[in-house]
Amino acid sequence: MNIHKKKFSGSGGITDIIKPQMTSLIDILTLLLVFLIQSFNAEGTLVTPSSDLELPLSSSKKQPGPSMMIEITRDAVVAEGKQLAANASFATSSDLLVQNVYSWLGQQKGRIAATAEPRQIIIQCDREIEFNIVKRVMYTCSKAGFTDFSVLVIEE
Amino acid sequence: MKTLSVGKKGFLPSEAIEAEIDIDVKPIMNVLIILIPFLVSVAVYTNLAVIDMSLPPNVTAAAGAGPANQKPRLKITVLVAQTYCAITLGETLLDSIPRAGDEYPYDTLAARLLVRRAGADVKDEVIVAPRDRIHFRYVVRIMDACKKTGFEKVSLASATENPEGGR
Repeated sequence: MNIHKKKFSGSGGITDIIKPQMTSLIDILTLLLVFLIQSFNAEGTLVTPSSDLELPLSSSKKQPGPSMMIEITRDAVVAEGKQLAANASFATSSDLLVQNVYSWLGQQKGRIAATAEPRQIIIQCDREIEFNIVKRVMYTCSKAGFTDFSVLVIEE
Repeated sequence: MKTLSVGKKGFLPSEAIEAEIDIDVKPIMNVLIILIPFLVSVAVYTNLAVIDMSLPPNVTAAAGAGPANQKPRLKITVLVAQTYCAITLGETLLDSIPRAGDEYPYDTLAARLLVRRAGADVKDEVIVAPRDRIHFRYVVRIMDACKKTGFEKVSLASATENPEGGR
């Protein structure tokens, strides 16, 4: 197809009509459309990962449900956007129980008792966090009466 | 611009095909341009998943609750240390797999677990016991390997840093 077509106007002059090549553009857009439709998730996401951490990769396919969430970022243990404990404080403490996390879980326990929410906790943990910190959080959760855990991961 | 109208200018269908036919792509372009930003905004690029786990049951509590002569059943435990991972059953070391470079050999671990699981009393539960300094991504990978082997329930425990010291 010619990009420029000459057209004779009534007065005898020549007017250029520019006709851009659309086929390749439509090819690209069609491929893009197919890719985006594949990535479309009609269910939506029930869990939003924290922006302060990098989740570990896993081959697990189980979808997360609505649950209580504790985030272990590189700097702190966070719940509902509130910092409960700094990771640096664990280096000096030999006690496995994290007091602020325990208090927060106590409050949540009272709230959950009034609703039908499951007593399960999803732990969002940065991939580079040492197990020492995860262990303390899990221990505190179990002391507060939460023994079912799930770890949030990125599906490979 | 010519459009795909065969009857125009008195062409017969065969003649119309020979003539230059321009398809009007404006409507499809309009649809694509509206649809693509919408789909980009709702596309999911990372899929999230969860791994279920639990704490190992308190052996002393379980023994106290059950009949006095009933021994707690031993479960396969995967100990994760900095330089190796080991499969144990109670205090018996079954396999020791050294770490290869930056990663643990997860496939080898899964293969050994499969063999050990066949001979174990408890075939549905495994305990993963990492040491304190192990990064969490390795723990997740090892839990993955356990799940792949067929263990439905993965418990997470802590391995002592210094077994000789009794802690």
